[in-house]
Amino acid sequence: MNKSKIILSTIIGIICMILVCVMFMQFKIVEETDITGIEAAREEELQTMLSDSKTRYEEIEEKLVETQQKIAEYQQKIDSNEQASELLDEELEQTNFLLGKTNVTGEGVIVTLQNNEEKDISASDLRTLINELKLAGAEAISINGSRVLSMTEIVDVNPYILVNEERIISPYIVKAIGNPMYLSSALSLKNSGFIDSYTKLGKTVEMKQEKNIHISAYNSSKNQLQFRYAKEVEE
Amino acid sequence: MNKNKIALTLGIVCIILTIAICVQINTIKNANSTVSKAFAKDELRDEVLKWNEKYERISNQLNEAEKRLAKIREESTKDDSNSTSKEEQIRLNNNLLGMTNLEGPGIEMVVEDDPNEIGPLDDIYYHIVHDADLRVLVNELKNAGAEAISINGQRIVNTTAITCIGNVIKVNNERITSPFTIRAIGFQESLMGIDWSAGYTKQLRQYGIIVNIKKLNKVEIPKYTGVISAQYMNIEK
Repeated sequence: MNKSKIILSTIIGIICMILVCVMFMQFKIVEETDITGIEAAREEELQTMLSDSKTRYEEIEEKLVETQQKIAEYQQKIDSNEQASELLDEELEQTNFLLGKTNVTGEGVIVTLQNNEEKDISASDLRTLINELKLAGAEAISINGSRVLSMTEIVDVNPYILVNEERIISPYIVKAIGNPMYLSSALSLKNSGFIDSYTKLGKTVEMKQEKNIHISAYNSSKNQLQFRYAKEVEE
Repeated sequence: MNKNKIALTLGIVCIILTIAICVQINTIKNANSTVSKAFAKDELRDEVLKWNEKYERISNQLNEAEKRLAKIREESTKDDSNSTSKEEQIRLNNNLLGMTNLEGPGIEMVVEDDPNEIGPLDDIYYHIVHDADLRVLVNELKNAGAEAISINGQRIVNTTAITCIGNVIKVNNERITSPFTIRAIGFQESLMGIDWSAGYTKQLRQYGIIVNIKKLNKVEIPKYTGVISAQYMNIEK
């Protein structure tokens, strides 16, 4: 009788100790999971940095190969005393195209912003949108048909908005060519995305993906595509 | 009865022990993965550095190649006026695209976070320069007829976005920090006009942000360091 009581209390004592041990371990695990959470996040960040670096390198490598090829082609023309007009035409067309001097087509998104009874669309709204589209990799953008270039201003001149010195009014139709997935998901991020945050402010914003968007060339009667003050640094 | 009790307690002890062992194993696994993660992280960091170095090297190579291309293009067209005008147009296009270093008269504007200590009741938010501020200033310079603009050496091109992630401002996807040096080439009087009495610069100064603008006879603006290409747009036929 006495013996089994002692045994029982010993066993209970052991159980208690084990329980305490397990609890401590538990605490330790909780602590460690927290740390690994941060570690994982940093690793993720590094992963994106790595893939960004690789893409960047691949792009520039391709560009280098292209440039060297062109050099060789010009050299060949010089060596054989031929005119290089075809090469020139090709390069001229390509640079005009990248600069925005040609009409372009492609897939992308069309965003429509409209004044409503309570809220007007401001130049700042359009600038924010354009910036988001560029961040998401838009290759060509226009606002109400006016092509947005590197030096295009977007300013309020009530009751108009001025884009490339042209007056435009609501509705504002912003077309962007680029990866339609990137473009639309960047704008439609929950809460923080352009569409959610501007809709919350009471502004009228709509977006749709399109397979075939046309964006016109920059209106070359404007003098933006010339230099009066800047010149290339000669080396 | 007593035997039964003892068997039951022993059973419970066994279960608890098993659980404890399982937990132990888990802990060890976790600890191990932390160590291996740290290793992986170092390796990742090394790899990022390696790719960046490779990029620097090839970027220099591309620079040289572009210069040679410009030269050889000029050489191949020197006897023909029609070709020469095309060659000049290509050169201008490349200048406009941001693929070359430019110089000319213009302004330099330095914008810096409020250097004063912020009071306990004050919100630091108003005393630092945000990406939105830089976007406004750049837009005003464009409106004043700037021909080329850079921020901390990053050329503003067709595809440039000015954004922030956390408290880091990025231009052309490159990190930049305060002080921000914005350079612009163009008609100086017009560019200086952005510092007018009710302008945005005035607003910034009200919050203690430092804004200094000066004219420079020779402003140098570097070329874009990335590649300008088209994957999604095509020339309309």
